[in-house]
Amino acid sequence: MFEKVLVANRGEIAVRIIRACKELNIRTVAVYSEIDANSMHVQMADEAICIGKAASSESYLRIDRIISAAEVADVDAIHPGYGFLSENAHFAEVCESCNIRFIGPSPRAMNALSDKAVSRALAKKAGVETPPGSEGIVENEKDALANAKRIGYPVMIKAVAGGGGRGMRIAHNDISLVKGFHTARTEAEKCFGNAGVYIEKFIENPHHIEIQILGDNKGKIIHLGERDCSVQRRNQKLIEESPSPLLENKFRKLRDKIGKAAIRIAEAARYTNAGTVEFIVDDAGNYYFLEVNKRIQVEHPVTEEVTGIDLVRAQIEIAMGEPLRYSQSDIVMKGHAIECRINAEDPFDDFRPSPGRIEMYYQPGGHGVRMETHAYAGYTIPPTYDSMIGKLIVTGKDRREAMDRMNRALNEYLITGVKTTISFQQAIMQDPNFRRGVYSTNFVEQLLGGARRELIEEKT
Amino acid sequence: MDLKDIKAIIDLMKKNSITEFELEEKDSKLRLKRGLNGGSPVVQQADDSGSMISMPVSATPMLAPAPAVAVVVNTGEIDIKSPMIGTFYRSPSPEAGPYCEPGTEVNVDSVVCIIEAMKVMNEIKSEVKGVITQLLVENGKPVEFGQPLFKVRPT
Repeated sequence: MFEKVLVANRGEIAVRIIRACKELNIRTVAVYSEIDANSMHVQMADEAICIGKAASSESYLRIDRIISAAEVADVDAIHPGYGFLSENAHFAEVCESCNIRFIGPSPRAMNALSDKAVSRALAKKAGVETPPGSEGIVENEKDALANAKRIGYPVMIKAVAGGGGRGMRIAHNDISLVKGFHTARTEAEKCFGNAGVYIEKFIENPHHIEIQILGDNKGKIIHLGERDCSVQRRNQKLIEESPSPLLENKFRKLRDKIGKAAIRIAEAARYTNAGTVEFIVDDAGNYYFLEVNKRIQVEHPVTEEVTGIDLVRAQIEIAMGEPLRYSQSDIVMKGHAIECRINAEDPFDDFRPSPGRIEMYYQPGGHGVRMETHAYAGYTIPPTYDSMIGKLIVTGKDRREAMDRMNRALNEYLITGVKTTISFQQAIMQDPNFRRGVYSTNFVEQLLGGARRELIEEKT
Repeated sequence: MDLKDIKAIIDLMKKNSITEFELEEKDSKLRLKRGLNGGSPVVQQADDSGSMISMPVSATPMLAPAPAVAVVVNTGEIDIKSPMIGTFYRSPSPEAGPYCEPGTEVNVDSVVCIIEAMKVMNEIKSEVKGVITQLLVENGKPVEFGQPLFKVRPT
């Protein structure tokens, strides 16, 4: 049983973790940078320790300072949240060597899925298809051209160490391939310190379908259904929902198949705790493994709402050594849930970040409405981190009810002082194609290309 | 009469709701006055040369926030702040004497304390040339990033 847990994160996820700890009667320790002194997670935790200046590299990414804080506060475990150090195997190792439990997968499991090329190889061994692509890193131009010819255009050049949608280039012919190959390598070196790239078939109208998994320390792994995250802008997710309209409408049997494939990959990696296995599904129902996210994800509430299972609580229980309390047959998906990410960005100005002081704040409520946020009236969003204000999650008995309820909730949501993407989310929620459930990852670009400005009402 | 005594008297004043206190001794006179709505108390201490030295004494915050009634004299002191998280120690080892006391002269490179983190004893340098005027943390207590450890009057 943990007595004290340190939350090595900030913002809405830190609040989420603190709440799960409180419900388990575990004392919480928040760490914060100087600019986050008034942040909600600092106020909610039982103890709070300042660990550095505003820059993440001076605070939330400083393993030494976080471990020092953990020792000074004498905690039993650290929850890393998402982003920051959550998928840093070295951090997990340091925790272990300091006798502090890391609430997440083991360092060994993280290393087994260390980068995309390694993960693809593991998936292949587990009998799961990956998008046709190069076997491992493409070393030079000649290699790149040969691979592209074999795979067939269009292709995608991707960084092996990449993530968050960065380090990618599309090529439709030899000329753009050569150019893309070199620029992708340069960008990858700059962003991730690793210039390695591989080439993959680019699937037109791809659907991003991901499977939530949970594994205990005894080797039992289950899946909790899928989330459809195809509504993205520049590879950043905007809306997530469960179940996927594509699977519900066209490919009912795929859920079970993809779920089992996710478990096989997790078992091959000896994965423990919470994770997400990402797939690309095309219009014909072919599915290909993309990567494993070795952490709790931003959009986890969507799965929680349709399965009734508290995933963050499950993470803590697994880390405490408890066996999974559910079997696969216990997992039943009921109803439909949609999550809209609300960012402090100006949708009328190319989504430019809009940090600053929130003046008025009234968040939606009512039956089937859930808010996950750290924001409050008078809170100043710092410019140093991501622009997410919060997540609005809505549940209904079916997709139609969920969408209508989301419309109702977005209409109630009032934030002044900063620009937000609330009105843009409303435009998506009312779009005929989105309502029909017919959309792929091109959806947002197409919507922005053709959107008439008057469809998006600005909230004052 | 040193700082510890003055702090003790202020505490007693707070506990017993006394607003003014005056003490005259052979070579010094001390007058303490508490703001009525709870501002920081002002210490006026006359030394035996007859000049008045006014020092602001940071008291624990009152329950009701109120505008500061007291006059705060800027003595030009600056803080030595903690550059890390750990446990604060005044001496290199339990048997040894402390690195510095109020009154110690320090240079930029003088070690003023140890902060222990992950079993490593880190020597913390003053980074300022001057005279230590106040010790702000108790020996053996945890400190966080940016926490003031000492007050120094630069020279």
